[in-house]
Amino acid sequence: MSVAWQFYISTVLIYLGVDVIACWGLNLQFGVAGLVNFAYIVFQAAGAYTAAVLTLGPAKPASQGGFQQYVGGAHWPFPLPILAAGLIGGLLAALVGGVAVRRLRSDYEAMVMLVVSLIATSVATNQVRLVNGPNGLALVPKPLATLVNLSPIGYQWLFVGLTAAICVCVYWLVHIVTSSPLGRTLRAVRDNEQAAAALGKNVTGLRMLAFILGGVIAGISGAVLVEFISAWSPGSWLYPETFVYFTAVIVGGSGNNLGVMVGALLVPVAFLEATRFLPPFGPPGFIDALQWIVVGALALIFLWFWPRGVIPERRRRFPAPAKEELPVRTGE
Amino acid sequence: MSESAGAVLTVRDLHREFGGVHAVNGASFTVPNGRITGLIGPNGAGKSTALNIIAGALKPTSGSVSYDGQDITALPSYKVARRGIIRTFQISSEFAALTVLENLLVAAPAQRGEALWQAALGKRYWRPQERATVARARQVLARFDMSAAADEYAGNLSGGQKRLLELMRGLMASPALLLLDEPMAGVNPSLARRIERHLADLAADGLTMLMIEHELAVVERLCDPVVVMAQGRVISQGTMADIRSDQEVLDAYLIG
Repeated sequence: MSVAWQFYISTVLIYLGVDVIACWGLNLQFGVAGLVNFAYIVFQAAGAYTAAVLTLGPAKPASQGGFQQYVGGAHWPFPLPILAAGLIGGLLAALVGGVAVRRLRSDYEAMVMLVVSLIATSVATNQVRLVNGPNGLALVPKPLATLVNLSPIGYQWLFVGLTAAICVCVYWLVHIVTSSPLGRTLRAVRDNEQAAAALGKNVTGLRMLAFILGGVIAGISGAVLVEFISAWSPGSWLYPETFVYFTAVIVGGSGNNLGVMVGALLVPVAFLEATRFLPPFGPPGFIDALQWIVVGALALIFLWFWPRGVIPERRRRFPAPAKEELPVRTGE
Repeated sequence: MSESAGAVLTVRDLHREFGGVHAVNGASFTVPNGRITGLIGPNGAGKSTALNIIAGALKPTSGSVSYDGQDITALPSYKVARRGIIRTFQISSEFAALTVLENLLVAAPAQRGEALWQAALGKRYWRPQERATVARARQVLARFDMSAAADEYAGNLSGGQKRLLELMRGLMASPALLLLDEPMAGVNPSLARRIERHLADLAADGLTMLMIEHELAVVERLCDPVVVMAQGRVISQGTMADIRSDQEVLDAYLIG
């Protein structure tokens, strides 16, 4: 395989990894616990900024050649910035959830989340000293790049490996939740909150737990992305990006970890990559606009015709009772 | 008012306003241990509101609810449930995308693997208890003749089956006091008889219940004592025979 193809494929694989991680987190919130988090991208962004700042080192004043300003710069070794990004994603989720998830439900919750997304973009853009405003952060050093002496393509494949390893860790986290009694209880809360509370389930606590876990995972996905692309700005996480992930979760199979993985492959990766190769047509920006329209239409079409997605939530069956408990069968 | 002997639940001078409307307006009654207490009254008497307050789903404007000698008035519903007070809903409240068996499993109290750290310990930690819970759920299903529907999505059940699920799920929660909000509402007569039989069996097993019911014949067969509410107040409490001779009750039903 030519080096150019290797670059392309490894890059797509890393993006896929990031999107799969992000979709697992959103699935935990939306698919499993029923939280309509239209601000999901903000938690990814918080993780990306955290990892970037903790990798960049202390900000230099302009007199010393510094060209970007931010708070809390540090030179933390890999993988600490990624773990910190998860932590910040979780803390932010606790903060936002404390208002929106504790008190609000369904449509109202979604509306507040959308507003949170707009406010966050506005704050990051206008508070230039926080994370360098509209220009964003750039030249984030790549993890381990100074430790391993690899060719650029060799490093690409190393990063694919790192992303895969992080995917495995995040999968472990979402799997222990969804496969355990905890996951069942979260799905019960999603289906009928009052009934779950009437059976002794701490609904607020459970919703907050799912929201915070999703925030942690979103933060990690943002950290992996920023460590790879080395730059991050408000333009990377505008509110419509959240709907790409929602579409991926809905198309793949809301509530099913494997399904949303397929959704991440189909929507943000395959669909957006395929349209990249379209010959340019129409006025400038037309193809980009068309992409958004198709992503939105895809979500609506699936919600209408296949609301359970390509790989629906698994029906949990339990081993049949032991033989002696079975009723006696006749006529066999 | 003195605590009557054997009362597990005492409701004292309960008030609840909804924007100037007194849904419950000074209701007091007791629920004795080990029997089915009927809660009857014309529509709008405040029965469901009272039940919602007992279950912690609504806060009273004033008044108190005590259970087993402890004040539970301010507790949120999940904490009321953890004390063993389990309620069913008048409108079916199944977990639609869960199977019938899963609906029952969710109800089991104090499950291992329901906290994140326990889930992180892996299947080996929670599986043994889960197996026992599944076995218990299958017994409940068998008792209600619903074993065949175990793996069906609860959302696909018929209206009558959903009423049974409501009751089965309540039992899976190991209640000490079961609050039933019209457990036979909207079901056909033969299923209603089946539910009635199940309730009688549960009462014979010594389970304490408080039941809102409109069908007076059913109340007469199952309930002792009976609490009559009208316009937010308790106007009578006693056996069905006492109540039948109470002029105020007759008036309330004729007017209401």
